[in-house]
Amino acid sequence: MSIRFEKVNYIYQQATPFEHQALYDITLTIPTGSYTAIVGHTGSGKSTLLQHLNGLLKPVSGRIIIGDQEITSLTKNKELGTLRKHVGVVFQFPEAQLFEETVLKDIAFAPKNFGSSEQEALETARQMAKLVDLPEYVFNKSPFELSGGQMRRVAIAGVLAMKPEVLVLDEPTAGLDPKGRIEIMDMFQNLKIQQHLTIILVTHQMDDVARYADNVIVLEKGHLLANNFPEKIFSDSKWLQEHHLALPQATRFAKELQKRADSFNFSKVPLTEEELAIQLIQRINEVKQNDE
Amino acid sequence: MNKIILGRYIPGKSFLHRLDPRSKLVLSFLFILIIFFANNWRTYILLGIFTFFCILLSKISLGFFLKGVRPLIWLILFTVVLQIFFTRGGPTYWQFGPLSITHFGLVNGGYVFCRFVLIIFMSTLLTLTTSPLEIADALENLMLPLKKFKVPVYEISLMISIALRFVPTLMDETEKIMNAQRARGVNFGEGGLIKQLKAIVPLLIPLFVGAFNRAEDLATAMEARGYRGGEGRTKYRFHAWHKNDTLSCIIFGLLAAILLFLRSW
Repeated sequence: MSIRFEKVNYIYQQATPFEHQALYDITLTIPTGSYTAIVGHTGSGKSTLLQHLNGLLKPVSGRIIIGDQEITSLTKNKELGTLRKHVGVVFQFPEAQLFEETVLKDIAFAPKNFGSSEQEALETARQMAKLVDLPEYVFNKSPFELSGGQMRRVAIAGVLAMKPEVLVLDEPTAGLDPKGRIEIMDMFQNLKIQQHLTIILVTHQMDDVARYADNVIVLEKGHLLANNFPEKIFSDSKWLQEHHLALPQATRFAKELQKRADSFNFSKVPLTEEELAIQLIQRINEVKQNDE
Repeated sequence: MNKIILGRYIPGKSFLHRLDPRSKLVLSFLFILIIFFANNWRTYILLGIFTFFCILLSKISLGFFLKGVRPLIWLILFTVVLQIFFTRGGPTYWQFGPLSITHFGLVNGGYVFCRFVLIIFMSTLLTLTTSPLEIADALENLMLPLKKFKVPVYEISLMISIALRFVPTLMDETEKIMNAQRARGVNFGEGGLIKQLKAIVPLLIPLFVGAFNRAEDLATAMEARGYRGGEGRTKYRFHAWHKNDTLSCIIFGLLAAILLFLRSW
């Protein structure tokens, strides 16, 4: 499902003294099957944009086209049911949404809401629990007895159980330890490949953007600053600095190396540790050959 | 969530904003009390003009006050209708079994309506111009004499300020959880009564769990910073009685005197 925003504006608490415009004339396209990262500072409008993706918020003006559905300020809530099934959203700290008596029942909640029978829903829940690597012995435990990382997995499984075509992730690894972070991000990557999902990731972790995304959207104070490939975004470190955005670690290392050794040139700016390592080895080999 | 105007504070620098919260609290309470002394149209007009004058003084648009009435409109109409149908006296215009519309009934209905609107306007005015913490401070200050009777004044006021402080937080939390459950296919406020009640469970349970966790964290944080009860604690904000507070009390005294005079006119 491709997603298109056309001149979308959003204003919180319109016509009150608390009025506050969060999005200004946003026009962008998120292609089907892409892994799109949305970056920007706190208050840049990321979360507002995200809530437009499944109709939790409707634009004040402009329109959004998701698949074959159009959302404008006039769209009725009833028309959004199918959209919510196709676009799954994992909110920040999603473990706050857990409420059922057992893990499986909680995962089965969404499919039941979208019309599956109790049996089907529980079967789906079982599959999803396995998909997110939950051990079998927790299936019938209360979700409140689990560890933080496991609760996160239950909540994610609860969204995956709707079998969405688009998966929206709002800082899915916030508050997790490094191991949990890598595991969860790799899990999303695998899901994307297996189920041909379109993934939209809101994050502050530039390393994750560099490693996984193939499309980056940069927001600043509600305006769209850039919508480009990660290589393009991270190649202009001056521009990034102007907008107070960080570089991925590998890229930062490469920049630092270049600054200290003028002769050192990278053919292509490395974004991940792997790319950096490969380029360094190439250079070392070149130098060795020259010496011989 | 943003429709609730009662209990909302709008920062400002008007005369009313700068009054001492204690005088505002006491005067609004007394105003609500004297509303019940009004017994004819002259007195209601007097109170109406006074309320309108206060609203002008607060420099807050009238729309906010009307919005404050909106959530209570059904309660008001219900009471008014009861008054109209069940009050007897004066010429009867319409009768059906125990129900009748009489002259007195209509007049009483009108008075009840005015009473409600005045009370809501005045209490909205209090909360719009006084921050929740100021109200809690004022309450603590006013309750101090009760300490002689072993009323835990500091604890009560701490509870009130914590409760007020966490209203917006809980509202945010509610909004977040509602969004998360909506994304999982719950439709709040749709379908029959049973369906709507069922939709509340996935909202309430996470909300309670979150509130308990937060309370525990807060208690730990307070103890870590050396909180050992309110006895002898100093305050960051000091409230001092100014000329304007005395002035307000005098104006209110005049209002009450005129009201009592008009009452028996």
